[in-house]
Amino acid sequence: MTGQNRKSRVVIVPCSGIGKTYGTVSREAAYDVIEDLRPKETQLVALSMLVLGDEAARAAVAQNPAITIDGCKLACATKMVKESGGTVAQDFAVLDVYRRYKQFKPQGIAELNEGGEQLAHTLAEEIAGIVDKLAVGGEGGQNG
Amino acid sequence: MVDLPKKKVGIVSCSGEELAEGTVTRLAALRVLEQLRPADTVTICLPLFLAGGEGDRAFARFYPTIAVDGCELHCAARATEMYSSKPAASVMVRELVAENGLGQPEGRRRLNPAGLQAVDVTAKRITVLVDELLGKHWDRQAGTFVEPQADSAVPESTEETGKVAACSCGSGIPTQTVQMDGQEVTLIALPLIFEQFRQSRKPPSGTTACELLDTVKLYNPAPDGADEQYKTVLMREYAVFYEKEAAR
Repeated sequence: MTGQNRKSRVVIVPCSGIGKTYGTVSREAAYDVIEDLRPKETQLVALSMLVLGDEAARAAVAQNPAITIDGCKLACATKMVKESGGTVAQDFAVLDVYRRYKQFKPQGIAELNEGGEQLAHTLAEEIAGIVDKLAVGGEGGQNG
Repeated sequence: MVDLPKKKVGIVSCSGEELAEGTVTRLAALRVLEQLRPADTVTICLPLFLAGGEGDRAFARFYPTIAVDGCELHCAARATEMYSSKPAASVMVRELVAENGLGQPEGRRRLNPAGLQAVDVTAKRITVLVDELLGKHWDRQAGTFVEPQADSAVPESTEETGKVAACSCGSGIPTQTVQMDGQEVTLIALPLIFEQFRQSRKPPSGTTACELLDTVKLYNPAPDGADEQYKTVLMREYAVFYEKEAAR
């Protein structure tokens, strides 16, 4: 785990899909947030750890607001956070984000094209904005 | 004999987003699925074992599965066994790195040269395992390997080859839930079986009911003594399906 008792850090949970571009965009956006944009305010939790029921991962989502990034309509990240006892402060679906930024057409899976990188960065900026709001507003809001 | 999907090998990657080794699992699995063995492999996202449906949870029973893990936690192997069926084989990136004297993979976002080497080694290892598993006989009902003579009824495929394998989000094994004596029973592969029977121009009849039952039992456990009940239900459902398709 990367958590290491970092309390009040917003948890970022991206999709773990390996076969579609949107999954890659979700991860790239997540890395953008946790490594570049808001490294001190966020932590990444791997979906596989939640699937396995890892105690530290479950505690991280149970004790902190979570932002999920899903690559497809099955919304595994959002579902798993909720099933793990977490509160989803905001859920993002990459397809919906793309619909708002159609100038950034993502392609590639192992490596994103420029459009994919731009879409991921744009999504990351939106996530950073949510992180800031959560930091100001305390424990964050609910998501339906 | 019906023409159900050919035997393929399932690959479940841990995809661990926290670790460089997780990135290695993802890229290695993708390389096997898209480049090295595209016609022989399928995948599923690990979270779908929980977030998906019965068809997703049937994955490792339907396909002999290779779990690809980045670290000692073995999330993919353990979760696959916990929610689907025991993987037929496992690969762990850190072990392969040590065995092959590679450097430490770093850069979960952009792998360093050692990480890229680890992708090569891991993909090759998976490919060897795929080939080994394809040479064995797999019982889709039991989710285990069986001796060749016991597996003779398992249909092989004429499914198209060369199709690029991809993430199977939302495309687990097709299932259908039927009412059996007031209980809901989910039958794996039933939509495929119905479609194959219809394409073979087999109308709903007593003979067809027996054939349906035999085929359904290849993929689903049926309680002892329930054959007649199964035949009745399968016949009813198949008649509905058949009429619906004929009306199109």
